[in-house]
Amino acid sequence: MSAILDARTQAQRLLSESSPAAKLGGLAGVLLLGNAAVQEPGLFIDQAIGGLVYGMILVMISLGLALVLGLMGVVNFAHGALFMLGGYFTYAAMASYGIPFWAALLIAPVGVGVVGIVIEVVVLRRLYGKEPIIGLLATFGLTLMIEEAARFVWGASAVQPAKPAFLTGGTDLGVTQVGTYRLFTVAVATVSVAGVYYLITRTDFGLSVRAGVQDGEMTEFVGVNLPLRFTAMFFLGSAIAGLGGALRVVEFGIDPGAAEEFVLLAFVVVVIGGVGSIFGSVVAGLLVGWAQFLIPVVLSALAVITGVSAINVQGISDLIPFLVMIAVLLIRPRGLFGEEGLLE
Amino acid sequence: MTEETTQESVPRLPTRLERYRIPLGLLVLVLALRPVVSSDLLLGYNAIASKMLIMMLFVAGFNLLFGYTGLLSFGHAMFLGFGLYIPAIFVSNGPGLLPAGGGVTFLFGVALAVAGVAAYGYLLGRLIVGMGEIYFALLTLAFSQAIYFIVLRDPAGLTGGSNGLTQGTLPAFVEQTRGEIAIEAFGQSLDWYWAVALVFLVGMLALWQIVRSPFGRSLVAVSENEQLARAMGVNTTRYKIWSVTFSGIFSALAGVLLMIQSSGAAIENLSVFTSGDTVLMAVLGGVNYFFGPVVGAFSWLFVEDFLTGFELWQFPLSELTLVTVDLSDILVYWQFLLGALFVVVVLTAPEEGIWGYLSSVAEWLRTKLTEVIG
Amino acid sequence: MSHTDETGTRQRDTGDGLSSSDDERPTIEPTVSPSTAALGVETLTKQFGEVVAVDDLSLGVETGELRAIIGPNGAGKTTLFNCIMGTLDPTAGTVYLSGDDITADAEERRPHLGMARSFQSNQLFADQTVLENIRLVAQTAEQGAFSMDLLRSHHTVGRERAIEIADDVGLQANLGTEATNLPHGEQRRLGIAMALATDPDVLLLDEPTSGMSPGATAETASLIEDIRDERGLTVILIEHDMDVVLSISDRLTVLDRGSIIATGPPDAVQGNQVVQDAYLGGMREEI
Repeated sequence: MSAILDARTQAQRLLSESSPAAKLGGLAGVLLLGNAAVQEPGLFIDQAIGGLVYGMILVMISLGLALVLGLMGVVNFAHGALFMLGGYFTYAAMASYGIPFWAALLIAPVGVGVVGIVIEVVVLRRLYGKEPIIGLLATFGLTLMIEEAARFVWGASAVQPAKPAFLTGGTDLGVTQVGTYRLFTVAVATVSVAGVYYLITRTDFGLSVRAGVQDGEMTEFVGVNLPLRFTAMFFLGSAIAGLGGALRVVEFGIDPGAAEEFVLLAFVVVVIGGVGSIFGSVVAGLLVGWAQFLIPVVLSALAVITGVSAINVQGISDLIPFLVMIAVLLIRPRGLFGEEGLLE
Repeated sequence: MTEETTQESVPRLPTRLERYRIPLGLLVLVLALRPVVSSDLLLGYNAIASKMLIMMLFVAGFNLLFGYTGLLSFGHAMFLGFGLYIPAIFVSNGPGLLPAGGGVTFLFGVALAVAGVAAYGYLLGRLIVGMGEIYFALLTLAFSQAIYFIVLRDPAGLTGGSNGLTQGTLPAFVEQTRGEIAIEAFGQSLDWYWAVALVFLVGMLALWQIVRSPFGRSLVAVSENEQLARAMGVNTTRYKIWSVTFSGIFSALAGVLLMIQSSGAAIENLSVFTSGDTVLMAVLGGVNYFFGPVVGAFSWLFVEDFLTGFELWQFPLSELTLVTVDLSDILVYWQFLLGALFVVVVLTAPEEGIWGYLSSVAEWLRTKLTEVIG
Repeated sequence: MSHTDETGTRQRDTGDGLSSSDDERPTIEPTVSPSTAALGVETLTKQFGEVVAVDDLSLGVETGELRAIIGPNGAGKTTLFNCIMGTLDPTAGTVYLSGDDITADAEERRPHLGMARSFQSNQLFADQTVLENIRLVAQTAEQGAFSMDLLRSHHTVGRERAIEIADDVGLQANLGTEATNLPHGEQRRLGIAMALATDPDVLLLDEPTSGMSPGATAETASLIEDIRDERGLTVILIEHDMDVVLSISDRLTVLDRGSIIATGPPDAVQGNQVVQDAYLGGMREEI
């Protein structure tokens, strides 16, 4: 409930700070979406759910990245590698050890969280308070190591475990059939994201870490073991990225390239949402997911209405996250919900 | 020299030999590189030497921005791409009055690539240098990725998409016979290595002049202490923008050479992995030094090629298949170790790298020697 | 230079109030109108969120004056410097340099207008030699905030001048030393040398003697006086060491919680009851 209130005030702030032109742009966007939805309702809903699934995965990765960046000031390039490991661990558990999907969904994130702890203790602890660029470089090196290790163990091409039988079918939504697994992904992602969000913004644990960022000495004085809590925070961020990887591998498989591909997308999400804002990452993740899946539909619908087929640009979807980010940065350099002055 | 008349404690200006240390070093490098790497004891073939020079120029261009200005570009492949693709597109298509495959067409392509990369670098710089170094790293990465996807999707039918450009990209004056490239112009034939060496020398000397000029020293001031530089009256933003621009030009120049070297434009060169390798080479070599990127690119390509070459040598001996498999395992292991080495370098001395290590060893030896002798 | 003998109590009203001739009345800061002073700030306010670091402050420093600013930690001294030099944008108010409103000028423009600063913490180009540190600033002063001077060697620009300045501040023996390897006291002097290399009319020094031995402190104090006399500079000095303040400053301004509580000649301010109650007594304990 409080999270919803939080969202309302944040949205109001954004609305009150946006220019009339931006509001007009928003209205035009709604009209274009409406047009696409009316023309091909089945496809539209299909894509909307696809975008939601993708967006939630992005949120799961971005959350950990935003946490470590916003709270600890370290740009963790290796976060995409943790996501990738989540996928591989799930695959290994299911395909190599015959562990059932449910258990793998639990084991893989914990495994990734443990890898995260090792990274935090061995490398990142040396980086707190240093220039952020050093952190970026060091974690980039870690990414290469993890990627190589994955290539060594699981090979260079994509792997994918078999989907559990009870999630293979489709669910009828009236206008269209949607894969049950996709709905399952959305459900698991929503619950875990909401849980992490609550933990960070509403519990003593989250508050103590955030206070520690403001004034480390004082918080330690009060009797909070900060390094331990930072590590716990890092475990959490890693585990939820790992869970994202676990959810994704079953539907799309995973390959070593996913590490850099997804950390880049997560960065895009964090930048759009605004560095330092956990809420911003959630919104931006969904925004990017939907933009990537719905803009092609909108363009093709617009091409039908106007009769200008050139509008229907092929293969634009990979480009969309970057276009959205560039647009956001041009209009609002600190991102949708970012605080001024961070990382500058 | 007049400076000898000033007080004793004033550091004297470098002597002529010291002043031209870097040009001399570059000359020695160019003369020695091919005989050394192509000797049978090492890599055993020629083509790698010119590839090394090209990558050295590219990474040195990158390091003007990172080492000398303090801006980490995580998307430098995009600048390489301008030099790689624009001349290739020009030569293979022959736009307007320019004939396909013509030498003049190629030169127009190169001119357009340089002008294009300069304009792009300048505008990109204006847009993003003010946002801080982390944003700079991430935004260069994002812009590079955006360009990668545009080239991959090939909306205008120019870039060949995922296949890249492989047919008819070489101008007429480039002769290819059994993998060996030569430049045929004005009735003369010039070996490809020497053609590359010429461009390499011109490019590296230009870079050297930039970093020793008052302009280049201002870049160093920006990278060492931006707040102080600004307080002392340096317009740090404009210096950064021009550093991006120059860095882009040198990288595009390397791209042109790479296009001829590999007879076309391959999309892999635009990928995030190329950009990442650039960062690795520069940091491993030592970003604080002019020769850092040279050493970094050399070591990187040498290790990579030495190991793959090793595997290939074993291949014909089919009875030793097992050995080959073992070697490929070691190769993977090595790249893992390279990543680990990189992490260690970054955590301990991020600006020193191999060159910094070598010079401190040399310094140590020198003091030991003078102790022993003197 | 017109010195007034009174000390002031907290005084917010500004106007063009030049100092009164009535001996019994406190000095009203600004002692000269900010808009005609060598350096002036008028109703300057800087807020960080809810915190008011500089509160509606007005100040005028005459040409050739050596003005010391003292005050407890957190009084807003460095924030005032940062606003004057453009490192921070003031929330409200105006900054004047010899009569020109420079509030909107970018930070990197200001050294070229004739004002320069040294920093409280040693801000240096750490890996460069002493000579190169000063030369870089001299080069910037000579060539402007941006110059595409690509074809020469940097040795040809600003070197002579840098050597001269190093001589003036007593760093001639350290020219070849890397800045980071200098002893602390010499680093502080290097900061002054770099500020001088911009060829300023107005020089702002932020605690130039901090962390120095008593001997070095006295040396630096006389150095500052010499520089002012030889170059005819206007100097504004943030300083904790009361001996320095009392011996070299023409006027003393006491800052507390972002406002001026007194301004006047050192002896008079020292004797002022308000200042003693509010600040000096407390500070002696602090030290």
